[in-house]
Amino acid sequence: MTDLTVRIGPATLRNPVLTASGTFGYGDEYAHVVDPALLGAVITKTVTLRARTGNPPQRIAETAGGMLNSIGLENVGLDRFRLEKLPRLRALGAAVIASIGGETPRDLERLLEALAAESGISGFEINFSCPNVARGGARYWAVARRLEATLRRLRPLTRLALIAKLSPDVTSIGDLAKACEQGGADALTAVNTFVGMAVDLDALRSKLGRDTGGLSGPAIKPLALARCREAAAAVRIPVIGSGGIMTGRDALEFIAVGAVAVQVGTATFVRPRAALEVLEEMRAFLEARGIRTLGEWRGCLAAEPA
Amino acid sequence: MTARSRATAITEAPDRPLTHATAEPSGWRQVRATVARHLDYGAGHRWLDLDVPGPFRAPLPGQFVELLLAPPSPVVLPRPMSVASASERSGGLTLGFLYAAIGSGTRALAALPAGAAVDVLGPLGRGFPLARPGTPLLIAGGRGVAPLLFAAEALARAGRRCEFLFGARNRARLVGLERAREQLAAMGGRLHLATDDGSEGESGDVVRLLDRRVPGFGAPLVIHSCGPHGMLAAVARWAERSGVEAHVAMESVMACGTGVCRGCPLPRSAARSTAFREAETPSLFGNREFAMCCTEGPVFNALDLDWDHIE
Repeated sequence: MTDLTVRIGPATLRNPVLTASGTFGYGDEYAHVVDPALLGAVITKTVTLRARTGNPPQRIAETAGGMLNSIGLENVGLDRFRLEKLPRLRALGAAVIASIGGETPRDLERLLEALAAESGISGFEINFSCPNVARGGARYWAVARRLEATLRRLRPLTRLALIAKLSPDVTSIGDLAKACEQGGADALTAVNTFVGMAVDLDALRSKLGRDTGGLSGPAIKPLALARCREAAAAVRIPVIGSGGIMTGRDALEFIAVGAVAVQVGTATFVRPRAALEVLEEMRAFLEARGIRTLGEWRGCLAAEPA
Repeated sequence: MTARSRATAITEAPDRPLTHATAEPSGWRQVRATVARHLDYGAGHRWLDLDVPGPFRAPLPGQFVELLLAPPSPVVLPRPMSVASASERSGGLTLGFLYAAIGSGTRALAALPAGAAVDVLGPLGRGFPLARPGTPLLIAGGRGVAPLLFAAEALARAGRRCEFLFGARNRARLVGLERAREQLAAMGGRLHLATDDGSEGESGDVVRLLDRRVPGFGAPLVIHSCGPHGMLAAVARWAERSGVEAHVAMESVMACGTGVCRGCPLPRSAARSTAFREAETPSLFGNREFAMCCTEGPVFNALDLDWDHIE
């Protein structure tokens, strides 16, 4: 058996396949078809201080090889997350990484203060990269000094893993990755969705209610792979690859360019068991080649350190 | 009685959807089905019978499934499709679908021969509350007839009569008309037809037909309707004016179909928004402002939606 365990800061995960935030709900929605305890971790839907009702319809548009979404961080808010969602997540026995999102550094501090003492959480992914909100979205956070200063404020609030999720729509993802490392992040996620648009020519307007959305799915895998490689080469902390992973082979490409783990997102909307299938395919591939630990495969195609 | 007080009263009835204080998933599964038959239904429409292996929960009229084409497929996401017929067979179910091949996904689906594989995820969402006391009045517009053919099938099996109104632009677009006739003959129900161009049945739209025929129907009536959203809005307004309970099957672009992606919101009516209590509502459903078509619907009480903001 290939040893697939991975370390993300202080957390040890049983394997490198995680669910991407926003594509696995709060962990229990798919539990009758996917045992979430078999995954590396469940990353929850992004939680904000107050509940959000999300963007107006239409929120989804399929495009060539992918999909645009403009959900707008619809979520139940911190209070209901703690009271209703976390207890269910704990009962499932999965490693839980709570995704948190805020409009300001202070919002993130308050979320972390509220959640740091909760049991059953292995770490936090900070959503610095939502493309679909007017305030506190990808553009606001894509500033190296802001990321570093914010992480410096968050770092003392928890000993659990702090993961910064980055947008690909930036001039240099390496610079932002370094800023997060400097600020004290334990790991990075590269990448969130790419800003995209689709037009309805008959109605002569955007297919999405909020004009632009985030592009995901197979169409973005080559783009995400290059961003992930660039981020991994810029820092010493682990990078979690994300973007268009549909199969175990896709996941192994991200590991080859330097990712320590991967996230499966859009694939779950197509096949709810996709994350488990990715894991099984990865394992079979590595075992067929006699690879004993994931570390032997990791970074075999990594870029030179920047 | 004002619209708002009536909406609130219905909210508090025991079988109203939001009083289901459970977040249990509906027990859906994804299984590999086989095309049993694929028939031409005219005007660009197809009838598809899929043999679905068990265990797979039998869908209710108004529920839908997500159909996923085997690779290589021209599309990424599965396609939501309402069930038009369901029957048991040894080892599983046969599910029937009536659809128009209009996009790249449905065109690829239309090309599948008998024996081809299609992944089916379901059953999803909530169906028509056919057990509500009263005379079921089924109102179909065009290919929106699909879930109502299933409703008529279920009512016929239960030995209940219904009135069936069916409208379309023209005769050719009264798709599935023969199936509807068969189901209604089995139960002794009546079929009432309307076309915009008068090529079949009465001339005009289905709401005009409703106005004319309703005096001959046995009260109380319970409307179950599916069709273009413009038609459903007209049915909803007619029902509210007339004090008739109406349940409508809505459409939306969807990704997951299971409540996870939050991609298919429909705006709630002011009355419903006010009555909405988040603490009692599973988050698989929507929020104060929007209901998710996939889990809270696709069948809604017409009073629950904001028809001024539905496209």
